[in-house]
Amino acid sequence: MIAADQSLARSNGRGVSASISLKNVEKVYGGPSGDLHAIAPLSIELPAGEAVSIVGPSGCGKSTLMRLIAGLDAPTRGEIRVGHQVVAKPVPDIGIVFQRDLLLDWRKVLGNVLLPAEIKGLSGLEGRARELLQEFDVGAFADSYPWQLSGGMRQRVAIARALLTRPALLFLDEPFSALDALTRDQMNVLLQRVQTSEGVTTLLITHSITEAIFCADRVLVMSGRPGAIMDDIRVPFERPRRLAIRETAEFTSIGRRIREHFEKVGVLVG
Amino acid sequence: MSVGTTQPIATVERAANAKTPASGASNLAAGMLWPLLSGAIGLALWEGLVRVFKVPVFILPAPSQVIVTIVEQWWYLLSQLAITTFAAGLGLVMAIVFGLAAGAAITASRLVDRMLTPWLVIAHAVPKVVIAPLFLVWFGFGLQSEMFFVVAFTFFPVIVNTVTGLKSADPEQILMVRAMGATPIQVLRKIQFPSALPSICAGIKLAVTLAPVGAVIGEFVASNKGLGHLLIRAVGDMDTPLAFAAVTVFSIFGVLLWRLAEWGERRVLPWHPSQREAFLRGAGT
Repeated sequence: MIAADQSLARSNGRGVSASISLKNVEKVYGGPSGDLHAIAPLSIELPAGEAVSIVGPSGCGKSTLMRLIAGLDAPTRGEIRVGHQVVAKPVPDIGIVFQRDLLLDWRKVLGNVLLPAEIKGLSGLEGRARELLQEFDVGAFADSYPWQLSGGMRQRVAIARALLTRPALLFLDEPFSALDALTRDQMNVLLQRVQTSEGVTTLLITHSITEAIFCADRVLVMSGRPGAIMDDIRVPFERPRRLAIRETAEFTSIGRRIREHFEKVGVLVG
Repeated sequence: MSVGTTQPIATVERAANAKTPASGASNLAAGMLWPLLSGAIGLALWEGLVRVFKVPVFILPAPSQVIVTIVEQWWYLLSQLAITTFAAGLGLVMAIVFGLAAGAAITASRLVDRMLTPWLVIAHAVPKVVIAPLFLVWFGFGLQSEMFFVVAFTFFPVIVNTVTGLKSADPEQILMVRAMGATPIQVLRKIQFPSALPSICAGIKLAVTLAPVGAVIGEFVASNKGLGHLLIRAVGDMDTPLAFAAVTVFSIFGVLLWRLAEWGERRVLPWHPSQREAFLRGAGT
């Protein structure tokens, strides 16, 4: 469908990903008690294969942004494109990872990973599903029920599910905020490893400044309601990254820069 | 510190939980002991009192006499039970089909909910024994009347539980599959229906136990066959031991039916929290 698109990039001969562009996107929710301005006019360009983090305070419209890009909700003004296609209805070419793993209790792990294939009517992806589970160190649990897995393992299954159909965009909406700190570090390492090997365009929404920097090539700093981009920072570290880079001066200086933005708008007082 | 270090968690949990079955089995045995003992005492008292006071058999037969009657007339009792079961089964299937469809319609449409639900509640509130003669007028004498009687007895728990179940689906899971491009039918099949299944099973279990009761009452009024008719006739003939035998057979059948329903539920819901202990027991050894 978009195979001939110029904006597609092939990395490592594996993933096929598309660029994402938002032009002057604005979202206003009308309500009986007045309008809620969720997202101010906002423009974002994500080249194919890039990993971008959006970091911002609670209620800055990050989840609204997710709904807009996935085509679950229409912007009040502006235009969103995945590849060269304007988003008008749900875009099945996006893999979404939510804050909760949302695994279906009644399906075994493998069945959960294969869910998007079933819904899109694709067959022959069982091998790919098992490979992904193997890559995420949960291969031995393919035939277990989700309740038999720990929280970190469940979220890894959720990421495998999102990646199954080789989506153009991997969208992660605060995916690790329910996990403990150690598991979260493991997931960060895993995510940037997978992002590299799959070559998928990635948009990670997070509250954690450290996570935002560690997992991305670029960090977008978002202000509170209405959501707007305050800064766009390049992250220069080579991949694959090790957790130790978080203690380097370069890393901490990026963190400071982001924190200063939040202090300026009053989100952080320090 | 590789990611793999978290892997054994589930296996460890499984091993830890595998210890429970042994104590669980002894608990079960101890739990069975007391009701069996009290039951035996009760029966012995009954038997003794009937013999000591020479109670006429048409008023109250002794337990031993009931057992003798069951043994002597087992074929007659079972054949009548089969007739009752057939009517109950047919009615139950109708009630489940109707209940699922009505439940789905009520969940899908606010209008249907508003227009239908109050009438269903009223229909359920009407004392069924009172309208039994009307069923006779509407559906005639025999199986048909009986079947609709079973439906009247069982549709309500199925509908109520179907509605509750369908409404309990996780909105975020629905959002997720919609983002994958799911059609409304797919949302129903992949998310809403499986989420509703535990509730639906609970409703069907209730209906399964109510169905034979409905069938028997239907037979009281509108049939010349089945356990209900047998009961009426036995009482009319002053054959009280036969009536007691029928009630006993019916009760045992009810318990078996309940166990069957529970077995079916386990087969349908192996993933459900209520089944996890059994699952671990199976996997642990």
